[in-house]
Amino acid sequence: MRETVLKDVLQAFLGTLVAVVVYSIAGAGAPALLVVFNAFSVVVLYFSIRRGEVFGAVLGTMCGLVQDAFSLGVFGVAGLTKTLLGFWTGFVSRRIDVVPFTRNALFMLVMSVLEMILWLLLTVLVRPRSINLQGGLVFLQPVVTALLGSLLFALERWTRARRARGA
Amino acid sequence: MPLWEKRRSALILTGLVVFHGLIISIQMPQGGAKSYFERGIFFVYSPVQRLATGAVRGVVALWTNYFDLRAVRRENVELKRQNFFYSQDVRFLEDRLSLAASEAELRESLAAFEGAIVAARTIGVDSVNPHQSIIIDKGSLDGIAANMAVCDRKGALVGRTIDPVGLKETMVQLVTDKDSRVSVRSTVDQLTGSMTGLSRDVCELRYVLASAGGGQEGEELRTTGYDKIYPAGIRVGVIQSLVRDQKSPIFLKILVKPFFGFDTVDVVAVLTRGPGGGG
Repeated sequence: MRETVLKDVLQAFLGTLVAVVVYSIAGAGAPALLVVFNAFSVVVLYFSIRRGEVFGAVLGTMCGLVQDAFSLGVFGVAGLTKTLLGFWTGFVSRRIDVVPFTRNALFMLVMSVLEMILWLLLTVLVRPRSINLQGGLVFLQPVVTALLGSLLFALERWTRARRARGA
Repeated sequence: MPLWEKRRSALILTGLVVFHGLIISIQMPQGGAKSYFERGIFFVYSPVQRLATGAVRGVVALWTNYFDLRAVRRENVELKRQNFFYSQDVRFLEDRLSLAASEAELRESLAAFEGAIVAARTIGVDSVNPHQSIIIDKGSLDGIAANMAVCDRKGALVGRTIDPVGLKETMVQLVTDKDSRVSVRSTVDQLTGSMTGLSRDVCELRYVLASAGGGQEGEELRTTGYDKIYPAGIRVGVIQSLVRDQKSPIFLKILVKPFFGFDTVDVVAVLTRGPGGGG
């Protein structure tokens, strides 16, 4: 039991490292891209669907807090929203079939939109002045997140199918 | 079956939500210093960011140095042209300086700047809004502390160093951040006010009385030094638009376009001996 929890935490830490690397590479390439692309959300969604709600919640906490640490916003707001995103994504994906590409993309879009709404509500509550919608560009973030997340799954399925054909 | 096993997921979620509620609530009222927990996360993950950015730069450098020699040649021609004009400028300035100050005075003024600049590379931008902050690859081991002015490679003001200051990484609050305040003055009509960011690529110059008169689009703004953080005379930006404020008609509503952009902050200069002085 303890081993499983430790393993989960360690894997969540590794998942967070992946998110930091992706976010850093995106930031180094085109800083303006970070308005529409949230690497932490993509990582949380992807691993939550694969590993379930508990892992999703722990990974969401880690990714969210790291995102907060690399920003000037209130520390903990992204942590809380990503915890809930990870938990509910993992929870719902265990109860409905999200394997087909379109259903997967739609599910991720719904979860990303809910995350954004929660993040906006919390920010308005905690620090209203800090909200900047970048001329509405920020609303593209859930679409980009859902698209990239479902493409990751599609890529994974394609790789697995190729490997199976080769074996 | 024990309660923990039955309600494991719900208990973990409740624990995490309560934990976040606590860390958000201890930051109220706002404006307090960053917690050790937040600093700890920054210290752990910023080296990863440094490595990732370094890898990207390495690939870009490989491309630039080995495969894109045409661009290098073009740049070389441009640099030669610039060099010609710069040497003319230097000659002109030398003449002016020899007239304006004695050699001893000149040495004295230059000594104040010696060793006061730390060059740093940008390794990351704010994870939520790129107009709020950047992260540079120099920290306390290089003599960096909070509240030091940061300029881009063209000498325009970028922002100031803020906590967390790591051993080799530091966060820089950009002048475009909503919580940033810089005391500035226009170079022609001497309009003085407080420039604050809007978390996008323009800033706003506040507290300039409509009765002050003067001021025009395109007029340059420089720091005054009144805020005790930024040294006086640093180029900040130009007035983009200037109208009477509809909400408070006694003031002007002035939008400012900062000189710095993401294309000029790949390398920055941290002024370690400004009035902020790392306090």
